[in-house]
Amino acid sequence: MLEWFDTVFSVFVAIYSTIILSSYVTMAILAFMEHRKHYTYHDDAYTIEELKKSPYTPGISIVAPAYNEEKTVITNVKSLLSLDYPDFEVVIVNDGSKDKTLELLIENFDLVKVPYAYVEKIKTKPFRGLYKTKSDNPAFKRLTVVDKVNGGTKADASNAGVNVVSNKFFVCTDVDCVLDQYALYRIIWPTMASTRRVIAVSATMRMSNGSIVEEGKMVDARPPHDLIPLFQDLEYTRSFLIGKTALARINALQNVSGGFGMFDREIVIKAGGYDGDSFAEDMDMVARMIRYMCDAGEDYRIVQIPETCCWTEGPPNLKVLNRQRTRWGRGLFQFYGVHRDMVGNRNYRRYGALTLTYVLFFELLAPVVEMIGYITVVWFILRGAVNYHTIWIAFLGLYIFAQLLTMVIISYDTWVGTSFKRKKDYLWFVLASLLEPIIYHPLNTFFSLRGYWKHIWGTQMVWGNMTRKGVQSVKPTGPKPMAPAAPQSAPEEKKPNA
Amino acid sequence: MEYYTLSRYAYWKYYVLIFYYKLAEYPKPVRVWLIFGAICMLLLIMIVIGNALRTFSHYRFERLVYHNRERYFERMKTVVSQARTLEPGEITAILELPKNFKMKERQNRSFIPTLLEVRKEMSGSMSRPNWIRLTQALKMPAYFESQILSRNVRKKVQAFKDVADLDATLKEAVASRYLFTKNRKLQMHARLHAARFGTSYPFKVLEEDPNLVFTDEMVVKYHNVLVYRQKNGLTMPNFVRWCNRVPINDELRIFAVNEIRLFKCKEDCAELLAMLETSREEAFSCALIRALGELEYVPAEKEFCRRYLSASFTERQVLAEALGAIGSGNPEVVSFMVDDFLQTTDYVTRMVLLRVVYRYGDIGRQAYEKLKAEATPETQPYFAHIECDLIDSRRYA
Repeated sequence: MLEWFDTVFSVFVAIYSTIILSSYVTMAILAFMEHRKHYTYHDDAYTIEELKKSPYTPGISIVAPAYNEEKTVITNVKSLLSLDYPDFEVVIVNDGSKDKTLELLIENFDLVKVPYAYVEKIKTKPFRGLYKTKSDNPAFKRLTVVDKVNGGTKADASNAGVNVVSNKFFVCTDVDCVLDQYALYRIIWPTMASTRRVIAVSATMRMSNGSIVEEGKMVDARPPHDLIPLFQDLEYTRSFLIGKTALARINALQNVSGGFGMFDREIVIKAGGYDGDSFAEDMDMVARMIRYMCDAGEDYRIVQIPETCCWTEGPPNLKVLNRQRTRWGRGLFQFYGVHRDMVGNRNYRRYGALTLTYVLFFELLAPVVEMIGYITVVWFILRGAVNYHTIWIAFLGLYIFAQLLTMVIISYDTWVGTSFKRKKDYLWFVLASLLEPIIYHPLNTFFSLRGYWKHIWGTQMVWGNMTRKGVQSVKPTGPKPMAPAAPQSAPEEKKPNA
Repeated sequence: MEYYTLSRYAYWKYYVLIFYYKLAEYPKPVRVWLIFGAICMLLLIMIVIGNALRTFSHYRFERLVYHNRERYFERMKTVVSQARTLEPGEITAILELPKNFKMKERQNRSFIPTLLEVRKEMSGSMSRPNWIRLTQALKMPAYFESQILSRNVRKKVQAFKDVADLDATLKEAVASRYLFTKNRKLQMHARLHAARFGTSYPFKVLEEDPNLVFTDEMVVKYHNVLVYRQKNGLTMPNFVRWCNRVPINDELRIFAVNEIRLFKCKEDCAELLAMLETSREEAFSCALIRALGELEYVPAEKEFCRRYLSASFTERQVLAEALGAIGSGNPEVVSFMVDDFLQTTDYVTRMVLLRVVYRYGDIGRQAYEKLKAEATPETQPYFAHIECDLIDSRRYA
């Protein structure tokens, strides 16, 4: 009986790991093809120039929910208003903040409450009012502030923002995110260049921990020097430059990050908007948009662009990381419960047949398999049934594979060209990569399992506050960084999820 | 003890055999797994090496660009700022280029950023003949030709973009090679090049291509090309001919109508109206209505009113806005919109109608006040919304 189990388990692990490894290599190759295509046909400066002088450039709305953001809201809104794009509006949704977020906005941008005829295209918590500027400053005229009763989730606030946006496309972001000056040009371009209807565009996001930000603008992108954010930076880069790029190449992208992504407003409304009850509302939104398009028999595309357009502050310590990853784990589990009919369903094209099946086996079930693996190895060791020679070869092989994958990420990042200015900064990535399989990966496995457990037993989930250290800022004249901003809270964090 | 010195071949064979026998010790699944893993790693290593070489090459190129900028920027500015047309020898002397000057591809390419910078800085006071001669002195036309005739698609596309950016010269015979190529992006850039610089009628290719795909990207680029042509006094296309074009391409027809609107070709309005009378497609009709409205073509009002009741909500909104833009002060138009405001159920259409009535001169304002007096609690917020100048100020400023 034991021999039978040993054989079955060994064969299962061999098959499982072979599929994972081959999927990584396939994704790296697909990503390479996509980056090469991008490099061949895309010229950032040329595109920006063309869009700048054209009256056909479509308008974009930026929706940014804010909850208790009094410490940074003014700087960040000014930063959003100073983006370079001919036609855009910024919609800040004050999600019933308990601090002075709204008062500060009113005071700094000369806002007044206007009698806006609000129509609830997507159901949200009660709308309190809409504010517009009475100032003559043309930049301020782009600003709209929506005040509503707290809905407890970013989804509810985003839906209120979607209800008031006036453009065909809207970008969903957070007020604490730092956007690239030309992010809007980059994110709109795929919708214009494609022959098919582009319903969503995802852009690369990175960690802002450790970077230097001046007046809400990224001055010097640097890798985080603390381990936890550094691991996340590596994880984000891997997810965006390999995973998502590869899936977008075959039009099977499963998630457009809630931190920075652009959506077709019409499809979002028809799909019912963000689900306020979901713990993975961004992934759920994409699923519902795809469901709508497939059910209607319409063609669509979801695109991933490789340039870094947004920097966000990641959890600075284990406590916050635990809370974040537990919620993501729970969100993934919940997602599969809600959209189980799409898994392996060819009616939902490659997304249903391929991506959801892959994510089910190699993302949702991976922590379970990994935990069983740990337990079984310990049990084998106790029984003396371990061939140490083989196991070391396997571990070493996997470790080298992980390091090579990091090298691929670094090479893609330098190729794409929106990376760190100093090449030596990549040594931090190498350091993170060396430690990741030993420290970060087991922790994530544990946090994900905790999320599944909580979902199965229906434990009450508290969104909690995301403790932020604040990114480094510099005075315009001085090179020395100022002290980090005081900790603040946010309704939730962004998820790369691939 | 005896020692043997292995030859290089035997040395490698020795290690390969050791590796083989070590591998043979493992069970079959492990062997397969190890070989598979090795192949995967090999692929990753190849990607890394390829990208590292590319990055290194890019780094070297950047250094070359910097070096060229330091050396030639001011000299180039001197050349293009001269009012008198300089002889090629004079330009070579100013640039201090060696005799029998030849450049490698990389060097030519490295001049482009500097040339672009010169062009941007001197845009107002630049001598066009000297600019052309400067690019010729640096052998840029020959470089662009070689790039376009190379096998690398990226080089071809980049060369077309650079020619457009630098306003450089290129043999028409070279550029026209790719007007019907299968690669859609390359085809688009070749056609854009032809459209920008063609001296006869370069838009024929658009009119005759039965497989034409006209994306939003092309809309943006063609409009910029047309602005360039108008600015430089080159032949403009016949937009009405595009509208009536066979084989039909809806996107191109809509683009043509929009161009009539943007270039304010009022003489085409009568033909647009005739097209509207027979048009059944919503997108094309909306473009026509918008154009006629913005060009303030009063005779179109009658047709607008005729279409209104059978139109979709989207078309109704466009019609209302067009009627508002014409603003002829016709009382029939106002009563017509007021009636529809009271009957329609669509929120957006109602708001558009109300806004148009509110801005439709004195006659419209009177009707608006009357509607306001009769407003129900449901419609009351609409009136407050319309009257507030701060809402939609960005759009209606």
